[in-house]
Amino acid sequence: MSVEKELRRTVKDLLEEGGIDLFIGWERGSLPTVASPLFITDPVDAERLIFDITCGSNPAVYFTKDRRQFDGRRVGVVLKGCDSRSMVLYIKEKQADRENVVMVGAQCNGVLDRGKVASAAGGREILELEDDGEKTVTLKGRDYEIAVERDSILSSSCLSCIHPDALECDHFIGEPRQSVTREQRLREVREFEALSSTERWERTRHEYEKCIRCYACRNVCPSCYCAVCFVDQNDPPWIGGTCEFTDSMIFHLVRNLHVAGRCVECGACARACPMDIDLLLLNRKVAMEVLERFNDEAGMDITAKPAMADFKEDEKQDFIMG
Amino acid sequence: MSEWQPRILAILCNWCSYAGADLAGVSRIQYPPSIRVIRVPCSGRVDQLFILKSLQSGFDGVLVSGCHPGDCHYISGNYVARRKFALLKPLLEFIGIEPDRVQFSWISAGEGERFAEVITKITEDVRKLGPSKRLVKKT
Amino acid sequence: MRENTARKSVLVLGAGIAGIQASLDLAEMGITVHLVEDTPTIGGRMPQLDKTFPTNDCSMCILSPKMSECIRHPLIKLHIMSSLEGISGEPGDLKCRVIERAKYVDPSKCVSCGLCEEKCPVKLDDVFDVSLRKTKAISRYFLQSIPSEYTIKREHCLYLTKGVCRLCEKVCPTGAIDYEDKDREIELNVGAVILATGIDPFDPISIGQYHYHSSVNVVTALEFERMLSASGPLGGHVVRASDGREPSTLAFIQCVGSRDSGINRNYCSSACCMFAIKQSIIAREHMKELKASIFYMDIRAFGKDFDKYYDKAENKYGVRFTRARVADIIELTDGSLELKYTFENGSIQREAFDMVVLSTGLQPRPETRGLAESLDLKLNDYGFFRSKTFLPLETSRPGVFVCGAANGPKDIPESVVSASGAVAEAAKYLELDRQDPATQEDAPPEQQVTGERPRVGVFVCHCGINIAGVVDVKDVAAMAEGLQNVEHSEDVVYACSTDCLEVIKQRIEEHGLNRVVVAACTPRTHEPLFRETINEAGLNPYLFEMANIRDQCSWAHMEEPELATSKSKDLVEMAVAKSRGLHPLERLPISIDPEALVIGGGLSGMTAALDLADAGHQVYLVEKEDELGGNMRDILFNFDGSDPQEFLGKTIERVQSHKGIRVLTGANIREVNGYVGNFSTLVEDGESRTETLTHGAVIVATGGIEHRTSEYLYGETTRVVTQTEFERMLKDETFPAGRLRNVVMVQCVGSREGERMYCSRVCCSKAVKNALELRKRRAGANIYMACRDIRTYGFSEEYYTELRDGGALVFRYKPDRKPEVELMSPGDPDSRVRVSMIDPVLEKEVVIDADLLVLATAIDAPEDNSVLAKMLKVPLNSDGMFLEAHVKLRPVDFATEGIFVCGLAHSPKDMNESLAQSMAAAARALTFLQKKTILADGTIAEVRKDRCSGCAYCEAVCAYSAIEIDPEEKVAVVNDALCKGCGACVASCRCGALDLRGFSNRQIHAVIGALDIEAVEGVTAT
Repeated sequence: MSVEKELRRTVKDLLEEGGIDLFIGWERGSLPTVASPLFITDPVDAERLIFDITCGSNPAVYFTKDRRQFDGRRVGVVLKGCDSRSMVLYIKEKQADRENVVMVGAQCNGVLDRGKVASAAGGREILELEDDGEKTVTLKGRDYEIAVERDSILSSSCLSCIHPDALECDHFIGEPRQSVTREQRLREVREFEALSSTERWERTRHEYEKCIRCYACRNVCPSCYCAVCFVDQNDPPWIGGTCEFTDSMIFHLVRNLHVAGRCVECGACARACPMDIDLLLLNRKVAMEVLERFNDEAGMDITAKPAMADFKEDEKQDFIMG
Repeated sequence: MSEWQPRILAILCNWCSYAGADLAGVSRIQYPPSIRVIRVPCSGRVDQLFILKSLQSGFDGVLVSGCHPGDCHYISGNYVARRKFALLKPLLEFIGIEPDRVQFSWISAGEGERFAEVITKITEDVRKLGPSKRLVKKT
Repeated sequence: MRENTARKSVLVLGAGIAGIQASLDLAEMGITVHLVEDTPTIGGRMPQLDKTFPTNDCSMCILSPKMSECIRHPLIKLHIMSSLEGISGEPGDLKCRVIERAKYVDPSKCVSCGLCEEKCPVKLDDVFDVSLRKTKAISRYFLQSIPSEYTIKREHCLYLTKGVCRLCEKVCPTGAIDYEDKDREIELNVGAVILATGIDPFDPISIGQYHYHSSVNVVTALEFERMLSASGPLGGHVVRASDGREPSTLAFIQCVGSRDSGINRNYCSSACCMFAIKQSIIAREHMKELKASIFYMDIRAFGKDFDKYYDKAENKYGVRFTRARVADIIELTDGSLELKYTFENGSIQREAFDMVVLSTGLQPRPETRGLAESLDLKLNDYGFFRSKTFLPLETSRPGVFVCGAANGPKDIPESVVSASGAVAEAAKYLELDRQDPATQEDAPPEQQVTGERPRVGVFVCHCGINIAGVVDVKDVAAMAEGLQNVEHSEDVVYACSTDCLEVIKQRIEEHGLNRVVVAACTPRTHEPLFRETINEAGLNPYLFEMANIRDQCSWAHMEEPELATSKSKDLVEMAVAKSRGLHPLERLPISIDPEALVIGGGLSGMTAALDLADAGHQVYLVEKEDELGGNMRDILFNFDGSDPQEFLGKTIERVQSHKGIRVLTGANIREVNGYVGNFSTLVEDGESRTETLTHGAVIVATGGIEHRTSEYLYGETTRVVTQTEFERMLKDETFPAGRLRNVVMVQCVGSREGERMYCSRVCCSKAVKNALELRKRRAGANIYMACRDIRTYGFSEEYYTELRDGGALVFRYKPDRKPEVELMSPGDPDSRVRVSMIDPVLEKEVVIDADLLVLATAIDAPEDNSVLAKMLKVPLNSDGMFLEAHVKLRPVDFATEGIFVCGLAHSPKDMNESLAQSMAAAARALTFLQKKTILADGTIAEVRKDRCSGCAYCEAVCAYSAIEIDPEEKVAVVNDALCKGCGACVASCRCGALDLRGFSNRQIHAVIGALDIEAVEGVTAT
């Protein structure tokens, strides 16, 4: 049975007799490359659910949007690996109650990068996209149909994803997938580290000078759910709101630190950035430090305290002056 | 006198490091006049953004100093702080900020001598690097 | 009238940590304290220590806040350089004759600039630094002395002894020297006296074999401590006195002047083992290559978490522990020392070390004898003040109490415990009224400043030449004049002098100032004074900021006046920037319910309940069992022959008949809500009826339980029993049938290994006690004791000696080769057991057919501690015992205010120690309960709800449970009563929803951005 079919059947069961009041998933959107979020309460609507390469958005984020909306309701949600980490994070950060969430993990084969798909289609309009979970994905247009290698259109974060499958879930649909190793994921970080200090600075500067402060990265980030983001606060004036380089850079650094131990490495920020800034590099660096120093990865262990809300007495402190 | 004098912001916790600085003075231990001190109740009070803003404001270096592990007047504030610094320091180094510009230390109320040593050390480190340029906002 | 004032004051003799603690506790209860101290400073021994075991806390760091609290407390009257000469009258109305010796320096004029000391020609060995440094005839006792003013040692002053010199008078900028000063005799009328006269280290000079006198590389533990200290004479860099070389090998010799009946020291000094372990660890941290060896008889790591520390020294720091007696030391030509030592089996070894540290024991101070005579107090055989079983803190004279090490060796937490305990005992002779600090203060009406433009006044202090000699203070004041919002700026000679404080008040008036900045010394000592001053002028005390241009500028940059001046300008500019954002802060009153809840009806709980009820408070005593008494019911003998059961019976009777105590037996705590002063607790009785109690404080006295072992065939024959069962057997004479020829005792059953890496502390003494009792009843029985270390600390050592002298055989076993036991007649429920173990003296196996095998089983933490801990939001240590706020200085408090711990709930301890600790818990609770309201500090965290996303990071990082997410609103809520103002939550809040009053984000940002760095760079470059 395909993942999609099994998902529909599971959700139907859950709504009928599984004790959930609401299910959050995706349906085909108005654009063929972007699935739309779907909230269903009627078991009949389970047939509308899809699960494929176009399901890039994170359905867990609704738990942070209006904390009252799910009060007194048991909610089911379908989750990719990264989404499940967000869900776990939200539970740890008191945005949701574990007892009131039914987590349905699904075999994730990665999500697409719209830029890459557009170039694969040679800039032609895409009217239909078929993804049956195999090695190729079919793109159809007015006068063409092409099969493209799945990997060639995947988001770069998916290509180096170490946790494609939901880690914490009540139901899992599909087959667990082979993931890349941590070292593979950190290849770019290691390569960057090998550069000289000046070179690293020049590259960082070159990258972040592009920032136009549109905040798309923040807006799409599942871990950014503050009521008012620090950049939008003027008491105190945390940071200048200009596109002057140091203002932008500090905004991004603080964002990296705010998502330290919380970034689920979904890559949404990088996909959202209109200026193609390589936003993953710094997040990965921080995630690597969090793992090496605090032995924690965001949203991986529902029993562990979030890294930045915790400490150990005998932690490595190599950075303290001797 | 024409020699360039680095200016370093020192954020010191009230109970240990600030007291250590006082002891250095009371003991008349001499160290370079490079630091400008902000007193905070605890190193746990230090937001990473304070450090970034200090660099942006043009300080040539930043030192944050708290109580030794186990000595925190507020039981565990320095441990909370340590996790923050443990990420900020490598992150800054990663993007190419000279590692010696931002340093952390533990100095107890009894360590006047050590306070002077730490200030001397960071001043020399920063002096070698010259005036801060990266991350300084041009006005 | 006269009697009334006496009953509202206490004299505390000795201002070491015990005296300070006792004074603070009393003062917090509204009692006036006369703190009488022999030296020119408070602090006692602790300032001499570098680090403290078992946490390696810096001694000065933890003590300083208590010292300044003590000196600033309005109810503590300090009499330094003073002695108590006599007491007359009755408890409740004692007249104390005190002599205050002449100081020859007027403390109201002295500004502690130190010029006098610099110029004084008389060099003396420094007492504080145990002669490792020189001091002068006019000096401070040590750098951080409190009070900080100088005094003259008259017996060394050239002018006072020979009539010539007067140099100090000439250089003193304030005319503070007064050679005409005279001793004064005063009479103090008090309700009670607490002696906290402390202890001295043993002087090893009399023990010839250790060559302390002749070898400079043989040092005492205290000398070594000063060497290790970062603020000590060697700056923490240990070197040999003979050649200035860093030692690479170090030997500690234990029990120097302890456990030695030959020199009337037949007691254990209790602290030296841990002291040596600490020093070996710290020395290793200083010198990575150092090899340290400790030569010992028994390692007495009996306190809470001590064994883990011992383990760390051995296994992490590679300290070698050698059980051997050092017979002689020979100094080699290169200054090294060859130790000749004898192992238990009699073999002798020689080994050279670079340095030797004598772990000198503790002995009564020489003044004790004279004091005992003049105050008519009894001493014990060794010259310590004598106190009794059941009354551990009383002297032989009613109304006179003793704490700290004056009645026997103690470590720091035990001293602190006994100090608070003595306060609870002294309170019985005092008249306690509930205080209301919120309304008692008669501050002038406060000027409204909110919404007004900041009008800052800047005062730049010369501090004589301390600042002005280096920094161009006039230039600094002129610069400040030009800063935004500065309405007034001037330089003043001594900002803290009485006349200048008046000037500050005048300027506030004249210029309508609403913020004040003083650029002078350190806020750590002077901020309270200036805050008080501006408050007197009608400004909220929090509208004050200091720039530290002396301690952190002029004194540290004496050779660079120009740079020191520009640094001072920056510091002032930063202070002004901060001051603009200062807000008036309110100290919110928190009402305190006078009732108390005591959880646990054992001896500890009952004692605490009685002390609280005697002080006039309603107490709820909740015990989960059906009767009171707890573990005390199993204590049937005492060393001194006193009857524990009679005492227990009387205690229970007093508790049950006390009008102020409501006993709830068979009852369990189900829920605890609230915070200091305002707790409400749901209690459920045996019949599932519930009741809600409201109270202001909680004392946790839930006790411990005897470990149920399955080792050593326990349970398989009636002839294997625990020490507790054996004690009952002794009392009831219900020994197994037949002759009792061989009785074997095994120590550390369940303790110091596996999941219980701690010493249960009481078992060695209990075994010795029971063995002596057995000998009384069955004189012919052979007693064999198998132990790892015998830990009969303190005066229990005497009884251990007595037991051994009487022929009991002691075998030391190693945990990897425990005694082995087998049933002699398997199947027989009364089978005797055959015990085999290694005799370390003969180095071969011995086999004993035991008629009785007695096991010293560990003390366990009750499992439901974790449930209670969760309800109270207080922590447990890794052994499941309640974890106090600070192991050294807050041994009965929890970090969460209003909750206290005592007895076995805290850690294993004996009856007298439990008594002292429960009295201490009562006294600590009284410091709250005696107030109608307390004031929360103004410097606390606050929440902007609209920004909070309820992620609870703040809750996780708060060490005081002072902030939590409201389950309804789903946003953080600060409990003003519990917040200590550290700001850890604020810095952990991504959303900017939290801020710290007094150190707000806006203020700190303003300070960071205050300096125009480029412009100033230009100045320094010219």
